[in-house]
Amino acid sequence: MGLEMKARKKVAIFDFTDCEGCEVQLVSLREKLLKLADQVDIVNWRLVQSRAEEGPYDISLVEGTPIRQEEIEILKALREQTKFLIGLGSCATLAGIPGIIDQKARSTWYKKIYGPKYKPRGVDALPLTAYVKIDYLIHGCPVEKKEIVRVMEELLAGKIPKGRGFSVCFECKLAGNQCRLLAKKICLGPITQGGCGAICISGGSPCYGCFGLRADPQIDNLLRILYKFSDSAQVENYFSMFLKKTPEYQKLFGKKEK
Amino acid sequence: MIQEDFITKIEGHGRLKVNWAQNKVQLEIEEGERLFEGMVCGRPVTDLYWITPRICGVCPIAHNLAALKAVEDALDIKVSFSTVLLRRLLLDAQMIQSHVLHLYFLALPDYLGLDSGTQLLKTHPKYFADALELKRISDLIADVVGGRGIHPTTTTAGGFHKVPSSEQLTKLKKEVQKMEEAASGTINLFSSLSYPEIRHELLFLSQTNGKDYNTYASQFISSNKELKVKIENYRKTIEEKVKIYSTAKFGYHKGKVVMVGALARLAIQADKLGGEAKDFYHHRKLDFENPYQNNFAQAIEVLYFVQEARGLIDEILGKGANSAIANLPKNLVPKKKSRGIGAIEAPRGGLYYEIEVDANGLITEANIITPTVQNLSSIEESAQAVLDQTENLSQRRRQELLEMLVRAYDPCITCSVH
Repeated sequence: MGLEMKARKKVAIFDFTDCEGCEVQLVSLREKLLKLADQVDIVNWRLVQSRAEEGPYDISLVEGTPIRQEEIEILKALREQTKFLIGLGSCATLAGIPGIIDQKARSTWYKKIYGPKYKPRGVDALPLTAYVKIDYLIHGCPVEKKEIVRVMEELLAGKIPKGRGFSVCFECKLAGNQCRLLAKKICLGPITQGGCGAICISGGSPCYGCFGLRADPQIDNLLRILYKFSDSAQVENYFSMFLKKTPEYQKLFGKKEK
Repeated sequence: MIQEDFITKIEGHGRLKVNWAQNKVQLEIEEGERLFEGMVCGRPVTDLYWITPRICGVCPIAHNLAALKAVEDALDIKVSFSTVLLRRLLLDAQMIQSHVLHLYFLALPDYLGLDSGTQLLKTHPKYFADALELKRISDLIADVVGGRGIHPTTTTAGGFHKVPSSEQLTKLKKEVQKMEEAASGTINLFSSLSYPEIRHELLFLSQTNGKDYNTYASQFISSNKELKVKIENYRKTIEEKVKIYSTAKFGYHKGKVVMVGALARLAIQADKLGGEAKDFYHHRKLDFENPYQNNFAQAIEVLYFVQEARGLIDEILGKGANSAIANLPKNLVPKKKSRGIGAIEAPRGGLYYEIEVDANGLITEANIITPTVQNLSSIEESAQAVLDQTENLSQRRRQELLEMLVRAYDPCITCSVH
């Protein structure tokens, strides 16, 4: 059997606490998903199949934020059983929207929302990288479909995918949008990694940086512009949407928490 | 163990805990607490409709629209007629996206003895082609009108940041027409399945307006019995209970379980259907005492929402979409502390938002009741009915029937833990 094809790569898709929108993006790839799925063996994907094989896995995609202790343990086990571990979407890569709530605030809200007798399961909302080493982060809220395909194709071709070296501005210009900064509207596009196609700005919404900070983001330069037409509370509001659990946010605004 | 034993092919993390010896079942919801109602407090009102779609990736448009309505109610903002038409079109896209994902990818494998919906490609290529076509075009409507398939980018308080051109809408209409055949095929398929024969008489709730099968502009909460109350009384109508074994609350009406969603909407206002969907409804009898038939009800609705989407595009083309971007409110701050309610029918049933906004435009309180919160109680009770009515079957078959039942309800666990 000398020339037999190499065994297909075993892929697992896991989801922790989140909206599952990034998995919906995967399904929305339709024919492209089938093409990808044909080149690998999806041995575990709770959302769409009952088949659930144990590891080891060649590639695991993990969506969501590990909020319960059980989820944190599963993440650690998954790390041990996976060759190439990918964070899928901003909840996984940045803690994103769930990260808006700090650990301290969680206990207040457990009581307010669930009442005094309730025993909470949640520990904290932190990105996957707070617990284990992650091999690649596919950012986005939701992830951009083209980015999923790019990363998977590169991996299957034996390449190690790399993040985008340009900011959202680059794609925003290509999309023909008016610059929000020139219109005196807060925008985190200049410091944010591209790959999203500037989809939010094209729709008229702000960029809150869900693709994560680009390499060498030069945040100081952006702040200098932002503070010409906005105050620190407004700027912090933007940074706190997806980036609250980043070291950069903590450095800029963290002191206030005390 | 690398994973917990959650029910597969549902949105979110839950399991049925069966005590076979005592013939008792409990629905345990184990999604981590998400605390959205706390998360939005202290933030500007504009953040509400940006953040809360992230409650659910399967029905984000529904959350976006309910949040917008709550903000507009609190700030006393009136929206233009085209804004309403465009939002209704978006909501139709949402209904089709969500129903189709559930019907073909999560529920259908149960009835055809498959492990996953993608296997349909080989076993039932015609069904699979219909599913992909419905998914593609409903995603396209969301893209063209909302800016993206999920988590909209064009919507804002008072209207839209951006609206599609007449050329885009004309093209979109041609695509929407292509869905009609696939939607009829979906009804034929789901009326031909043999649903497990389980009897469970249910109290159905749905938002209504007394005029049409409109899921965006409702005024009342109605039941299949006598209930008809104003939306503003939603808190009195739907009580939420915290259960020790669940991170989601369970909804009740006067202590009784309720079912919301497609089957409930049809039970309460099938007479408001129109066109071919109405004909199908009359020729293929739905059994309202069998919760498994929620799948069949969703299939009928898919065709209805396809028809409605087509009609709405015509209407928007006639009236023009531009009033939706004109006169957007600049300053989203109320004169004094205010409250607002926003309610719509989401794919899985009535969705309720209520906020309090202070004089700085910051949210000081938020309350959200999702459809699945209301359905959790009836899922648990229906599951008990399955156990009670299948004692002569094998444990394995009963387990299968229980999982099928949960899927038939199309629970959105992530919505229920918001």
